Amino acid sequence: MGNVKFEKIKRPENIKLPYMLDFYPLEDEKNTRISQFFKNLKEGRLTTTKCKECSELLWPPRVVCSGCLSNKLEWIDLGVEGELYAFTEMRAGAPLGFVQDLPFCIGMVKIGGLLISARIDDAKYEDLKIGEKVKLKIMEIEDGRVFYRFQRIS
Amino acid sequence: MRKVAIVGGGATTCGKREATWRELVQEAGKAMFDNIENISPKDVEALLVGAAQPERFVFQVHVAPMVAECLGVTPRKVIATTELMCASGQAAIRYAWACVASGMADVAVAFGVEKMFMPDMAEAQTNMTCVLDREWDGVNAMSAPPFFAMTAQRHMHEFGTTKEQMALVSVKNHHYSTMNPIAQFQKEVAVEKVLQSPMVSPPLNLFDCSGITDGAAGVVLVPAEDAKKYTDNPMYIIGSGQASIGNAVNNLASITEWVPLKMAIKEAWRTAKISVSEIDIAELHDCFTISEIMEYEAFGWCEKGKGGKFIEDGESYIGGKIAVNPRGGLLGCGHPLGATAILQSIDILQQFRGDVPKGRHVKDAKTAVAHNLSGAANVHSLIVYSRG
Repeated sequence: MGNVKFEKIKRPENIKLPYMLDFYPLEDEKNTRISQFFKNLKEGRLTTTKCKECSELLWPPRVVCSGCLSNKLEWIDLGVEGELYAFTEMRAGAPLGFVQDLPFCIGMVKIGGLLISARIDDAKYEDLKIGEKVKLKIMEIEDGRVFYRFQRIS
Repeated sequence: MRKVAIVGGGATTCGKREATWRELVQEAGKAMFDNIENISPKDVEALLVGAAQPERFVFQVHVAPMVAECLGVTPRKVIATTELMCASGQAAIRYAWACVASGMADVAVAFGVEKMFMPDMAEAQTNMTCVLDREWDGVNAMSAPPFFAMTAQRHMHEFGTTKEQMALVSVKNHHYSTMNPIAQFQKEVAVEKVLQSPMVSPPLNLFDCSGITDGAAGVVLVPAEDAKKYTDNPMYIIGSGQASIGNAVNNLASITEWVPLKMAIKEAWRTAKISVSEIDIAELHDCFTISEIMEYEAFGWCEKGKGGKFIEDGESYIGGKIAVNPRGGLLGCGHPLGATAILQSIDILQQFRGDVPKGRHVKDAKTAVAHNLSGAANVHSLIVYSRG
């Protein structure tokens, strides 16, 4: 067996965060037809699409109404204050990319006629109450993208 | 439509297995073929493989042909993977059933497999974040534990359900899984142990949650008129129901009432031409303790909001109003996503045959229902099985 060659090989030590582990949406016009949502968010406005034909409020923002299939949609403001419908705290089992944030609160927030999921910042589980008012907060990601969370008012 | 029989099946032991995905497939496949007379891999005309996330857990797609290759099966009528997250295995059974019922195939295998333990478990947890809408729920780390934690919180808030009542579901299912040799969890747990286990996502402790599990299983489906060629004790699929409303949190019909489950139950009873009172065994999807409590209510075994009291009164034990999860459930057996529904089906067959230990045997059971939910409990899938 003396003529069999052994060679050590190396794998890259660092790999750029792959798209599948980047949970934040790609938000510019080149990647999505709802880039207006993120432009509005950059102005501190939480908005979504509403159907001009059947008045259905759609979440997440859509390009076609899932109520009547119309593509005549308009952007409407949901406001910046919501009410906490339910909440929990992630204490273990967070996905890669969020592990460094543990523990953190997640909730379902009633806002503008919708019930949406969101991170609830600056709060411990023990401090929060069902029905409590929460306020919109904008997260700026280092590459210029934005996303929303909520925080306590009191 | 032809009447369809399940003539046998086989499975791996479930848990943290020192085996690869394809080794689990071979173990379960061999067990399945070894357990059924007069059948060989070459007889299989249709192969449906329930696999929830092989592309994430083992970085492999096109898995149905891989299963076929591992087992020496060469399907000539139908082959495909079926993905419906936690109900992927039931999707496989449903399509295999449809293939045989329609006459498209005379021998179909419904297989299920999941290898969930990864070298880095944070990676496995990450996989759970693309089940709901990845960009609008997943981005908030909304995976199963926080979603069901909030479901439990609302159920406690609206109906007064307690943590102790939820823990009792875990106690029951771990009790039955101690008598199931292929179950992941082999030890009894007491209420205090559930309440003292690490808090995952309040109000859910670790033992309120089903496990991360490796496992595989398969069953063989044939037309009822051919069943006796393979076994003296087949079981039959006599009905089914499935319904789905929404996927993202905002688009669910309700958080504390699973509307699609009620729709699927109605359809299952209609197609099986039975009523709920005829069910002897219920294999329900107890991915979390709160799930089983809400299922007692949806099936109508107790009033809405009284599911906690139902387990407190012991009504879901064998000998109570309805035997729920005498297999040990997902809480006791583990939850290898794609394989779970197949494991439920094999256990019901063994119950009908009397091939389970006395302590978890439902005597003279004739009819059983198997249920799986998936996603944010926005899809519910049911199959009704009968001994005769």
